[in-house]
Amino acid sequence: MIESQASKLKKRSSVTLKRKSKLYKNEHRFALLFILPPVIGFLLFALTPLLISFYASFTNWNGLRQMNFVGLENYRRLLSDSYFWTTLGNTFYLMIGIPIGLTLSFLLALALNRRIVGRNTFRVIYYIPVVSSLAAISILWQWAYNGDFGLVNQALAYIGIDGPNWLQNTATIKPAIIIMTVWKGLGYSMLLYLAAIQSVPRTFYEAAELDGASPLQRLTYITWPMVRPVTFFLIVTNIIGGAQMFTEINIMTPTGGPMYSSATLVWYLWQQAFNYWRMGYASAMSVVLGILIFIITALQFHMNKKSSYKLD
Amino acid sequence: MNWSKNVLSTGFIMASALVLSACGGNGDTEGASPSDEGDANAGNDENISLTFMFRGGTDERDAYDLAIAAFEDENPNVSVNVIATDPDQYATQLQASISGNDVPDVFYVGQGDVMAYVDNGILRDITEDVENIDIDLDNIWEYGIDSYRYDGDKIGEGAIYGLPKDVGPFAFGYNKTMFEEAGIELPDPDVPYTWDEFIEVGKELTAEDQWATGLNVNWSLQSFVWSNGGNFINEDLTEVTVNTPEFIEALQYFADMQNVHGLTPSVEQAQTLDTYQRWMNGELAFFPVGPWDMSTFNELDFEYDLLPWPAGKTGESATWVGSLGIAVSEATEHPEVAVELAAYLSASPDAQQQLVDANIQIPNNIEVAEEWASDTESLPNNKQEFLDIVGDYGKNLPAAKTYTSEWYDEFFINVQPVIDGDMSAEEFVENIQPRMQDLLDQSIMQHEQSKQ
Repeated sequence: MIESQASKLKKRSSVTLKRKSKLYKNEHRFALLFILPPVIGFLLFALTPLLISFYASFTNWNGLRQMNFVGLENYRRLLSDSYFWTTLGNTFYLMIGIPIGLTLSFLLALALNRRIVGRNTFRVIYYIPVVSSLAAISILWQWAYNGDFGLVNQALAYIGIDGPNWLQNTATIKPAIIIMTVWKGLGYSMLLYLAAIQSVPRTFYEAAELDGASPLQRLTYITWPMVRPVTFFLIVTNIIGGAQMFTEINIMTPTGGPMYSSATLVWYLWQQAFNYWRMGYASAMSVVLGILIFIITALQFHMNKKSSYKLD
Repeated sequence: MNWSKNVLSTGFIMASALVLSACGGNGDTEGASPSDEGDANAGNDENISLTFMFRGGTDERDAYDLAIAAFEDENPNVSVNVIATDPDQYATQLQASISGNDVPDVFYVGQGDVMAYVDNGILRDITEDVENIDIDLDNIWEYGIDSYRYDGDKIGEGAIYGLPKDVGPFAFGYNKTMFEEAGIELPDPDVPYTWDEFIEVGKELTAEDQWATGLNVNWSLQSFVWSNGGNFINEDLTEVTVNTPEFIEALQYFADMQNVHGLTPSVEQAQTLDTYQRWMNGELAFFPVGPWDMSTFNELDFEYDLLPWPAGKTGESATWVGSLGIAVSEATEHPEVAVELAAYLSASPDAQQQLVDANIQIPNNIEVAEEWASDTESLPNNKQEFLDIVGDYGKNLPAAKTYTSEWYDEFFINVQPVIDGDMSAEEFVENIQPRMQDLLDQSIMQHEQSKQ
């Protein structure tokens, strides 16, 4: 009795399995079809340029005519180019804004998660910079930082501080740009945090409350760990984005700032490629930058995996 | 088997659709390229379409839209697709279209880029074309034409590769109203101040919230260096000469105006953005004036006029003239029409009038310019100074004739400590000269390589 039932079951399951597998195959083919466009797009518009610029980094290409192979010449030049190191340093310096921005946006998300008056209005206000054109924002902030007439210094004047000429001073130019990028990125990070905070199951808080956890404990032991994936995602994308900072610099400080104090690596690379006809050298810089970003991102993934855990 | 074939062919169709749509998108934004089908065989009767790429602010775009509409009216079979970019994106976009083999038929070219573009076969030699059309080269500023002559070795001689879009004399101006209120004798329009006189007058005009001047080192230092007999580079363009006594004296004088004599707003606030606004507020007595400033400066609350730059040891005033050119692509399918368009924009009296009316440039056409300058009623009264600079004593910016400007930029990236008074001019040039020389050598080497 039991045996026959079992064999029946087996039969049935093998039938469904077979059927499933055929369906699976068909769907797999369709899936491939749908994947094809982005894959082709990637090959054409990302991988091909990547390989070309990798090759170009071994040539003395001027961006106008043929490439002549020069071996490691460009890379050797990089080592002794003091501006390369300055701009690389500046690029990382400007990333100080990332932890500041994440902290602020997390706090903001917490605040906007409460039932306060005009909460939707605030959400919109914080999100406006995200959807505005970066070029327009840069011009706006350039005015705001003007030494005499800028909004920033006028505001400082109310509390009796004589503000500096932000973008002309080697000591203030980097903080000025950091403030701007933090402001610009706030809305986006806030939105992601808000979504993450709202998707934390209420049962966790209820259980914690019953056990007598204080609000601070609930924040540090429930909310913060639960939004970790978002934090990780934001850190990774912000670092990649920060390493490629260009538009803000080019508009706010078209000459790279006094003593190159605001020039980022991508800005310098662009300068070399398009103003000094050194596309090959610029390619070498971009290859080095690409490798750096790759290493940093790989490290982050590694560290994230090590310390990740699950709430069971 | 059938299945995978289907998938494959569908894939191919989608792929080619992707590529096609990419091209289509390109065509939409860039306008019809000369290689469009049917266009290649176009004779005189058929419709010709040209692409014109330029950069500029709104005033300029409006003026060019009018000029191009007028050109199309005169040549009914020609349609011009205009690509206008923001000034800071122009170089990148142009180079992208060059790399993509989709060079516009007619486009702006910077003075400093002529060598690179010619060496790499991008600009058309229009010497003969220009002779064949109705344009009188003698009636265009020689400086404007010479900026686009290149003999494969040096700029300024040889074949013509472009026509001037404009010539930009960098003149010196003063706040006439401020002089009159202070009861100080107006500057002579023909005799420059000596440096000592300039300091003296400047001190008289400096008061609470009022300064003699505030000059941006990037654009104003040249005048002081040249009028003192110094230069950035030697005649042969092979040696950086910033460490000569004349140069050092000029740079020190420039820095001392601020740090010793107090003629300018304080150190942190001496940058151009602020002094520009101070000038417009009527707080500065002297300030540089380019033709592009006229539309703004004519609306100010005070009257201004032009005077020669203060002169150093040589006793002669000096300053620079900039220029932007209009060039024709080597790859264009319709060279004659393209050159006609370039010439029309550069020299046709109608087009010139539109640009001059917009108050953003002086006429390229000498006769028109002289008539324009003879109007001494409208501001600035001494328009003749602009013409004197272009026709007589103005020079190229130092890097306009070298292959790259890297050597020159190196100076200005690092000069700030001298301007702030933290370093002496002498110490600075001793330090910077070898680095500039190294970059100039590289520029010469790059030039050699690109000629091969």
